[in-house]
Amino acid sequence: MIRNYLKTGWRNIIKNKGTFSINIIGLALGIASCIMIMLYVVNELSYDKFNVKADQIVRVVFKANIKNEAIKEAVVMAPVAQTLKNDLPEIIDATRLAKSYNNRLEYNGSYYGQSSLGYVDPNFFNVFTLPIILGNQNTRLDKLNSVVISESLAKSIFGNTDPIGRTITVTNRHEQLNVSGVMKDIPQNSHFHFDFLVSTLGYPQAKNTSWLESDFFTYLVLRKGTEISGVEAKLPAINKKYMGPQMLDAIGMSYEEFQKENSLGLFLQPLTDIHLHSNFSDATTLEQGGDIKYVYIFSAVALFMLVIACINFMNLATASASKRSKEVGIRKVLGSNKKQLIYQFLAESFISTLLATFLAIALFSIALPFFNQLAGKAIDFSSLLQPVYILSLIGLILIITFLAGSYPAFYLSSFNPLNALKSKFSGGGKSSGIRGGLVVFQFVISAGLILATLVVQEQMNYIQNKDIGYEKDQLLVIRNTYLLGNNEDNFLDKIKNDPRVENVTHSAFAPAGESDNEVGGIFLNGEFQRRMFFYNVDENYIPTMGMELLQGRNFSEEFGDENDKIIINKKAAEILGIGQDAIGKTFQRDTNEGLLDITIIGMIKNFNFKSLHQEIEPLILKKNPYGGMIIRSKTADMSGIIENLNEDWNRYNPKEALNYSVLDDSFKHTYLKERKMGTILTLFAMLTIIVACLGLFGLVTFTAEQRFKEIGIRKVLGSSAAQIVTLLSKDFLKLVGISFLIAFPLSYYLMNKWLQDFAYRTDIHWWLYLLAAGITIGIAFLTIGIKSYKAASVNPIKSLKIE
Amino acid sequence: MLKLNHIYKWVKSGGRRIFLLNDLNLNVEKGEFLSIMGPSGSGKSTLLNVIAMLDDFDEGEYHFEGEAIHNLKSKKRTEIFNQNIGFIFQAYHLLDDLTVYENIETPLLYKKVKSSERKALVADILDRFNIVGKKDLFPHQLSGGQQQLVGIARALIIKPQLILADEPTGNLNSKQSDEIMQIFKELNQEGVTIIQASHSESNAAYGSRIINLLDGSVKKS
Repeated sequence: MIRNYLKTGWRNIIKNKGTFSINIIGLALGIASCIMIMLYVVNELSYDKFNVKADQIVRVVFKANIKNEAIKEAVVMAPVAQTLKNDLPEIIDATRLAKSYNNRLEYNGSYYGQSSLGYVDPNFFNVFTLPIILGNQNTRLDKLNSVVISESLAKSIFGNTDPIGRTITVTNRHEQLNVSGVMKDIPQNSHFHFDFLVSTLGYPQAKNTSWLESDFFTYLVLRKGTEISGVEAKLPAINKKYMGPQMLDAIGMSYEEFQKENSLGLFLQPLTDIHLHSNFSDATTLEQGGDIKYVYIFSAVALFMLVIACINFMNLATASASKRSKEVGIRKVLGSNKKQLIYQFLAESFISTLLATFLAIALFSIALPFFNQLAGKAIDFSSLLQPVYILSLIGLILIITFLAGSYPAFYLSSFNPLNALKSKFSGGGKSSGIRGGLVVFQFVISAGLILATLVVQEQMNYIQNKDIGYEKDQLLVIRNTYLLGNNEDNFLDKIKNDPRVENVTHSAFAPAGESDNEVGGIFLNGEFQRRMFFYNVDENYIPTMGMELLQGRNFSEEFGDENDKIIINKKAAEILGIGQDAIGKTFQRDTNEGLLDITIIGMIKNFNFKSLHQEIEPLILKKNPYGGMIIRSKTADMSGIIENLNEDWNRYNPKEALNYSVLDDSFKHTYLKERKMGTILTLFAMLTIIVACLGLFGLVTFTAEQRFKEIGIRKVLGSSAAQIVTLLSKDFLKLVGISFLIAFPLSYYLMNKWLQDFAYRTDIHWWLYLLAAGITIGIAFLTIGIKSYKAASVNPIKSLKIE
Repeated sequence: MLKLNHIYKWVKSGGRRIFLLNDLNLNVEKGEFLSIMGPSGSGKSTLLNVIAMLDDFDEGEYHFEGEAIHNLKSKKRTEIFNQNIGFIFQAYHLLDDLTVYENIETPLLYKKVKSSERKALVADILDRFNIVGKKDLFPHQLSGGQQQLVGIARALIIKPQLILADEPTGNLNSKQSDEIMQIFKELNQEGVTIIQASHSESNAAYGSRIINLLDGSVKKS
């Protein structure tokens, strides 16, 4: 019996190869996309959970509001860890991590440029689960000058020889470190990654007792079952006890007085929240994390894709099944009872779904490496093989089988055989209403996604092309030129005179990418106003960067030192309440020698020195050239300049690596997260519309076949092919039109919310809607048109012969 | 074998009744070869469908082999139909996705007949109708007459007591029609009761009795 069903089912498939393939491919695409996104989301949610104590670990962070300036830093003061451990019984362990940038390692005469290493307390490995594969499990970082290196670093430096006990030199710090252990590479889903962990026993800052300088990422292990909020509530008292006296010394204000108009304090952030819920200043962020918002968005997209694909599948299966009402009639006359028919159709549905699922898994495994690259992940195919996913897939197969097969199985099989034989139904009325609704649903999502994609692209373009107050292209940033010691001036002069170079400024303060930072207090007549950002520059800075001076004058060599003169940006003028009359006004800033008078000599147009997510802050430029260089090249191709710089640098200082970056690239990198999201969104918008169109194609096919006879009659009565196409397309285009009415307001609302994240954003222009509508209708019409045209061209005799 | 008493069947159209079968009375004995004749719209197909229990009626009594069909639930009716009656259509209604062999085999599958027995039965009937060579072809590869042969073979395979044929030669030319009617005659001689509905006088001549229908009731001939 089963063989009979299989034969019928299989031959049915062969007969309708086209429709069947469309159906299977559509479902497979939907399932594959869903799997992909699901694993991505699971990965995002899994960060740091590999740590055995993950649920008990919290990070201490610093939040403040000083003179209406909000500060959020993920690093805190050096003594915090030990103090909290001593004073609070709920805390059973505390450890610290400090990140050091731009180090050069040397072993056996070979140099290894390393961008970052971490200084960690010896108990770091008691807090975090970082398995040691070579070396003594227990000693690790207990000794001065000990370091634990990662497996990959060990391989690249030592090959197959045993690294334990060997000495690596950190040349820029003149540190000789002994390898005391090799750890497994830190997994991809961790909020920090290091190949080189050095003990803080040899790190001077670790012994700092100041409660006013923050340098360390601090992690606490709470006793099992402790409520975080309870511990957090005890922190203000600790602050007052330790920070108070130091604050009094430094700014002459007591802790309570300070808290009257401002607020600052230590807070606790669960380890597992760090990756998706962190919103701290860039300077204190270990790695650019994810955003819980995007997790939600992608989960929704995955769900939508799956739903659309399933709906399609059901729609098409149902449509093609109603063509088999005649077969149902015959089988009933031949002796089939209802149950056997139900079984037959469900079996067919099961096979199709199973095929689609296998195809989906194949598609998934092929696309996985590309997706990993796109999303910056390392998802493994085997992660799909966990029982929970296998079971879910099986469950999904069963659900789809049932939903797709239930119409023919239950509805058709209950027909009176006579009526079935005369093919007296075709699922008009109610079921065509449902089908119409499903088409609308699919196109609402497709049109919405297209609009969203367009808006994201618009915003990215906007960011790239916006006037940010300076010219960001053709700028090369060189950092840490002080490492050249006495040769620094030679190095600088050579560049200044290079014919390929338009201008050079002796400053390492760059508005994008890695930059030096300085923040200081501004006082008026001795009274504290607020903190502001400072840039240390020379007279070449403004011309090199292409900034615009609005009032007053630039720094100049004529006036010598000028260390009591400042240039401010327009925002600073607003904040200080001096608007148009900034020039000549005097304030004070704090230095190690007390308050220093500073006079404003110029005001520049605001430029974005932070991400466009944030409003422009007040900024003060002072003449204090040091630290690095920013070079403006005459041409876009800077490779020649870079090569020469490298040569010169290595001549002067082979122990360090030249640290250079292209400003434009750093600028783009700031928006990497959004860019990635934009790409992924585009990808899934395309997929969604493909699946929706497949569904539309199938439906049009079905309708055309249904109305086969009607078309024949109309042609005989004189209708042209074009009129037939219009007839068939009208209804579908109406549905697509309705879907716009629903999709656009929804999309507008959601995209507006996303744009709110950016202080500087584009508008959602009306013509974006037009474009999205145009694209959607264009694609839909193409799909409908091809099939309708084919149907309209059939010789009417053929359709009228059967009866 | 079967008895129809005062059968009425109507449809409502704008508040009035239109009768498809109007006080129809009929007795058929075992072994008869009955031809039902009449113009289009006289109710021939309707009558056949009622006899086959594929369609129901609004008033009257129907006894089949002693069973009061009008009192039975549809499930039981279907069962009786499946056990005893073979139906042959004007439009053949073969399963397009199955070969000749598989088409003929299908009723046996629904009866859950064992594989070896099925093979034997199908082989026999293929032989009888001389279509052994065509057993692996699909319906669209056969001529109209051949398809109808398959239809008849399929109706016969369950060894029914009664065969109902609705315009069996309607789509065939005269030569093919003759062949089919010959087969019917042979079957009847073997003891199968046959009721056919037909337009054709020559077809009706093969039967043992003719009744004429007009507007849903038997015309007194």
